[in-house]
Amino acid sequence: MTALLQVKGLNKHFGGLYAVRDVSFDLQPGSITGILGPNGAGKTTMFNLLTGFIRADSGSALFDGHSLVGLAPHQIVNLGLARTFQLARPFSGMSVVENVEVACHAQRVRHFGMPRKRAHALLEQVGLGGQAEFEVDVLPYGDLRRLEIARALATKPKLLLLDEPFAGLGAGEVGPLADLIRTLHKSEGLTILLIEHKLREFMQLVHEIIAMDFGEIVAVGTPTKIVRHPRVIEAYLGTQDLALDMA
Amino acid sequence: MNILKVDWIGALFALAALAAIPLVFGSSYIIGVMTVALCYGMWAASWDFMSGLTGRENFGHSLFIGAGAYTAGFLNVNFGANPWWSLLAAPVVAVLFSLLMGFPTLRLRGPYFALAMLSASAVMQNLTIIFSGYTGGQDGLNGLFPILDSTLAYYYLTLGLLAASAVVLKLVANSSWGLVLRAIRGDEATCQAAGINVNFYKIVSLVISAAIAGLGGALYAHYQLQVGPDLFTVVLSINIIIMVYVGGMGSIYGPIGGALLLNVLTETLRGLSEYRLWVYTLVLVIILFFLPQGAIAPLWRRIRFMFT
Repeated sequence: MTALLQVKGLNKHFGGLYAVRDVSFDLQPGSITGILGPNGAGKTTMFNLLTGFIRADSGSALFDGHSLVGLAPHQIVNLGLARTFQLARPFSGMSVVENVEVACHAQRVRHFGMPRKRAHALLEQVGLGGQAEFEVDVLPYGDLRRLEIARALATKPKLLLLDEPFAGLGAGEVGPLADLIRTLHKSEGLTILLIEHKLREFMQLVHEIIAMDFGEIVAVGTPTKIVRHPRVIEAYLGTQDLALDMA
Repeated sequence: MNILKVDWIGALFALAALAAIPLVFGSSYIIGVMTVALCYGMWAASWDFMSGLTGRENFGHSLFIGAGAYTAGFLNVNFGANPWWSLLAAPVVAVLFSLLMGFPTLRLRGPYFALAMLSASAVMQNLTIIFSGYTGGQDGLNGLFPILDSTLAYYYLTLGLLAASAVVLKLVANSSWGLVLRAIRGDEATCQAAGINVNFYKIVSLVISAAIAGLGGALYAHYQLQVGPDLFTVVLSINIIIMVYVGGMGSIYGPIGGALLLNVLTETLRGLSEYRLWVYTLVLVIILFFLPQGAIAPLWRRIRFMFT
């Protein structure tokens, strides 16, 4: 099977600090892959490189047969690679459904027509159907996360990048959101790459984990393997007891 | 009644009232004041379309106004062209200026666009003085031909073009295009993540804004029959922004109302001679302080609410 995303030798440094250093990995179509790592490991920087928000110093990224190097963010989205932000950034002053409708005007999906109707359907899909006409500014944090996902889905992505989708959620909100991600993975045939800190749900959700530290990939493997990997334990989990607890 | 219907009826009433003014008052002085006010209305509405909707403030709208007015002046005074050509050429030249300004500055974040527009209009003002051999320097270009001989007919021409511009701007603002512009105002990065080519939308919006500002500049020039460096001043740009704020930003019709209101206010206060600036400033402060959303647009929303 050819990989949906092939990243080779990706580098980015800010001054003397390497935020991402010689990162290479492949994503298989239909997989759910997690990126694990402590704060400052370069996870979000890598998302920003892949989605065109930051230019890489060197390296290549091949998505679905297209090179992502030098493309603007909207061009990458229109190839079928969508993202959400770590901090939800809605279009304030607009209604919830309008927030999703904007993405229905992306070049990739414009020909579907009926943007308002599509936006309503997408809101139903992520469980925000009842809040469609609300002002977006009144939505609680958990709903904003779902809204981010609906907006990304509106562009009909093949690969969805989720930047800490569970961050800041209440205990009761994490499980349902993980279920939503699983459902979308199945129903939309999505390939998913996500950054996360909430370990238990994360481990249950992903097929494979890429562990990063100081901008570099330190280990790749299944969740059960990763939590026993000595470099991961050292970099992220601290003690072996904690690691076993997570597994 | 649905909102759209009430809006159209309101617009027709406003248009009818403006059309009736010369019939009620009839003096050429009042017709003149109102013609100038209508030009300001075009400038304020076109400013609002770009900056009010996308949130990228333009501090040099006079660049497009002056470009349009001087185009009319050159064509008419230097080349003896039929004055009707001004109405076509002025928007074209203003659009060229907007492309020249928009491409390099609108892609940058931060205040670059606002400051570049401000600087460009100031530079143009100086250029008109430096190249006084062509531009007439401080005196400007004089002796433009009127487009229509009767001031009354010219008032109706200006009113018609303002109404047409307002309808076009409002229809676009209410369309999916306007939705995207409001999203850009909300968050540019999120817009890009939604697959929207933000720069393209901003540049085309600036082009539309410039075309209408330039058209207003030509109409103004052929009313005054004179163009001067004052049409490139920052003061003119700032006055337009004040009119937009007084009217209510982002509504298109509000700024037109703001422009009419402040122009009429300035003229009414002429009788107060030296106290005029005091009163004018006081009125502005009261509106901006107590009605941060502006006066005209929120007022209309209230009226609309009573009918729907």
